Amino acid sequence: MNNAFDNHAKTAWCPGCGNFGILDALKEALEQLALSPRQVVLVSGIGQAAKIPHYLNSNVFNGLHGRSLPVAFAVKSVNPGLTVIAESGDGCMYGEGGNHLLHAIRRNPDITVLVHDNQVYGLTKGQASPTSEDGFVTKTQPQGSLSKAFNPMSFAISQNTGFVARGFSGDKEGLIKILREAILWKGLSLVDILQPCVTFNTVNTFGWYKKRVYTLDGHYDSTNRIGAFEKSLEWGERIPLGVIYRHEHPTFQDKIRDTFGVDNLVYQGRDSHLVLANEWSRFR
Amino acid sequence: MVDYSIKIGGEAGQGVQTVADSLSRIFLRSGLQVFTIQDYQSRIRGGHSFTQIRLSDAPLCAMRKEVDMLVCLDSATCRIHAGEVSERGLVLGALDQSDPSYSRSVISLDFAAIAKEAGNPIYANIVAVGAVLGILGFGINLMEEYLSEVFRKKGDQVIRENNNALRKGFQRAQELYGQALLPDIQQNRDHSSVLLNGNDALGLGVVLAGCTFYSAYPMTPSSGVLNFVAGRAKEYGILVEQAEDEIAAVNMAVGASYCGARAMTGTSGGGFCLMTEGLGLAAMTETPLVILNAQRPGPSTGLPTRTSQGDLEFVIHASHDEFPRFVLAPGEPREAMNAVIRAFNLTERFQVPVILLSDQYLADTEWTYPDLQVDEKADSPHTVLAVQGYRRYVPTENGVSPRALPGSGPGLVIADSDEHDEWGHITEDLTIRLSQQEKRMRKIQFMKSAMRSPRCLEGEDVTLIGWGSTYGVLYEVRNNLREKGMRAGLVHFTDLYPMATETVELARNLPNPVVVEGNYLGQFARLLERETGRAFPRRVNAFNGLPFFVEELEMRIKEILS
Repeated sequence: MNNAFDNHAKTAWCPGCGNFGILDALKEALEQLALSPRQVVLVSGIGQAAKIPHYLNSNVFNGLHGRSLPVAFAVKSVNPGLTVIAESGDGCMYGEGGNHLLHAIRRNPDITVLVHDNQVYGLTKGQASPTSEDGFVTKTQPQGSLSKAFNPMSFAISQNTGFVARGFSGDKEGLIKILREAILWKGLSLVDILQPCVTFNTVNTFGWYKKRVYTLDGHYDSTNRIGAFEKSLEWGERIPLGVIYRHEHPTFQDKIRDTFGVDNLVYQGRDSHLVLANEWSRFR
Repeated sequence: MVDYSIKIGGEAGQGVQTVADSLSRIFLRSGLQVFTIQDYQSRIRGGHSFTQIRLSDAPLCAMRKEVDMLVCLDSATCRIHAGEVSERGLVLGALDQSDPSYSRSVISLDFAAIAKEAGNPIYANIVAVGAVLGILGFGINLMEEYLSEVFRKKGDQVIRENNNALRKGFQRAQELYGQALLPDIQQNRDHSSVLLNGNDALGLGVVLAGCTFYSAYPMTPSSGVLNFVAGRAKEYGILVEQAEDEIAAVNMAVGASYCGARAMTGTSGGGFCLMTEGLGLAAMTETPLVILNAQRPGPSTGLPTRTSQGDLEFVIHASHDEFPRFVLAPGEPREAMNAVIRAFNLTERFQVPVILLSDQYLADTEWTYPDLQVDEKADSPHTVLAVQGYRRYVPTENGVSPRALPGSGPGLVIADSDEHDEWGHITEDLTIRLSQQEKRMRKIQFMKSAMRSPRCLEGEDVTLIGWGSTYGVLYEVRNNLREKGMRAGLVHFTDLYPMATETVELARNLPNPVVVEGNYLGQFARLLERETGRAFPRRVNAFNGLPFFVEELEMRIKEILS
């Protein structure tokens, strides 16, 4: 099969890593949406998940730990014609970048945020992450994590994020469907993707997830915020997959267009004579 | 030659700035040269703040300490500043003339009471403006016109009330004083001169440079630039985003620039600390970026509203490992305006970050310019189309690789903060690391050729050396020393880093150097020592948060020479 987003790169991931499922699903989703690699910009932070842009054919800005969202926001603001996907791990997006996630949601730029959530820091060899369960034992938390797990779904719904979904890297078809919807969504979409770390997380394994995950069916109303909030609290024996909440509202791009009449900020030049003619009298 | 200084003081919120702005505009429109400085505290109301205006019929570039007229909007102003009033000086305000602490002539005028008579006590500051004009012997027509302009949107009644208050203040002061203080001054209507402070000048530079994306987190004294650009965003098509923090601000600017915006961020030292990670990102990804650092005394939050030149060594070394960058420090507002345009041209030409160093003194000081000419021209975009197989980091002789924008062609644009290969893909191949680091560092030699020589005014007995915002005061002090028979020279740097070979040579041979700067360690002197291998032991430093005043600096230079 010929996928335009395939770049046949060698990955630095462990054999059997949950990231592979996400990479395959993303390539497939982009291909199914008939996007061209030149239209797509993948922005990432740091970590194993953040290497993903290097493994598929698209424009890439692989920046700093936790800082993918300010970059993705700016990229979309400058050139709204591009499809912008910010992608990184739970440590990057919810830990170091937590503040940026909060404010990216407030801005609601038309970007897709994909979080590879394996509840552990892989690249730094196995510390607790913001989504690790309370009591999760690591070399750094030998007595078990003393903090509660961050709930990205509840958080996102509480902030009235436009599109909030959960995927699982072991459910490729389901994930492709979610990714397609998320990329098409006008505004910020957050997809938390359960992605087992085969090396450092011996609790939340593929088997552990397979026993628990189920896909939300057609009866579930993802536009009901209170219901969505309840659904977002479901974790443990049963873990819902799919679009948990959706709520359409103006994007940052809509607002800058309406307020400032600006559609594209790529520098084309500016007439300094005109500027001076305008400004001159203001300094007299 | 007329050389007259007026200081207006009061609590924050009393309208000190309104009085000062009105007066300085009238002086400007009367064809005079005006120079103003501001001093304020980190608070919204109360405390003490002042603005000082110096006016002359000859060009001005610095402030004297001595005050000829002290306008007191509150009684504390008189207590704090009475000692600065000159022999011939006057003190104006609701003051008790019999108070023995006031050794100068006091003209007792209760601005608020007069304003109340005129209709409303809130016009006290306009009464003060009228009183000053009445005492100096200026007509009030220009002022009436000015008020009409300022309050045009608020309607005729507000204009009438203001003019009433103005006339009352003017008449009362004339009755009390009975003469014109500056009868000899030539007053001609001037339609071309402008009054420009550093922050507005920087903002103007941002617009002129073609900036399309300005992200910042507010921090004194850089916020004036943010406000200036935000006020013009719609007019010129600039996205101004108030970021959640400085980390976001710098990352946004880098992201915007990657996509082809002319992007800039502005902050002060504390915010710059947070931006150092993003500075390294811009360097590693070779993404053009202009960062303004309006210095203030610190470390930590320091003295938020005061001035300093203490960040030079920091910005030269900020962020980890080694990478090239430009550091520019304009000396006065118009130069600041031009420096922004130059900064954008440099960052795009060399694909290295440019740091502009300003400070509170430059930010808030107004200079008079006969017109608003711009010396620099914004380059057209330095980009290529992304062709098939485009290599973002292809090695070149001067280290600069052709920059394409994502989406501009069939090729992909891959930027990486990790070490990367020619295409931009992450690598741990150490041979590639060597060639990429060499490519980046190769730019330095090439960058030096873009650096400009310092301004040089020769002298043998002493050469005053300075950088950034101290230009004006050094210039006046140098002239004063020459008038007094000393062969004084001045060498002023705006292009600080990297230093061109000729500049190093020049610095090595300057006769009797004294380095003057607003920090404790003598950071620029140390930079010169490092670059030239010569010692610069004679230094004048200030780190009290205040700018250099002419008389003080002259005295300190004489002291160090004797």
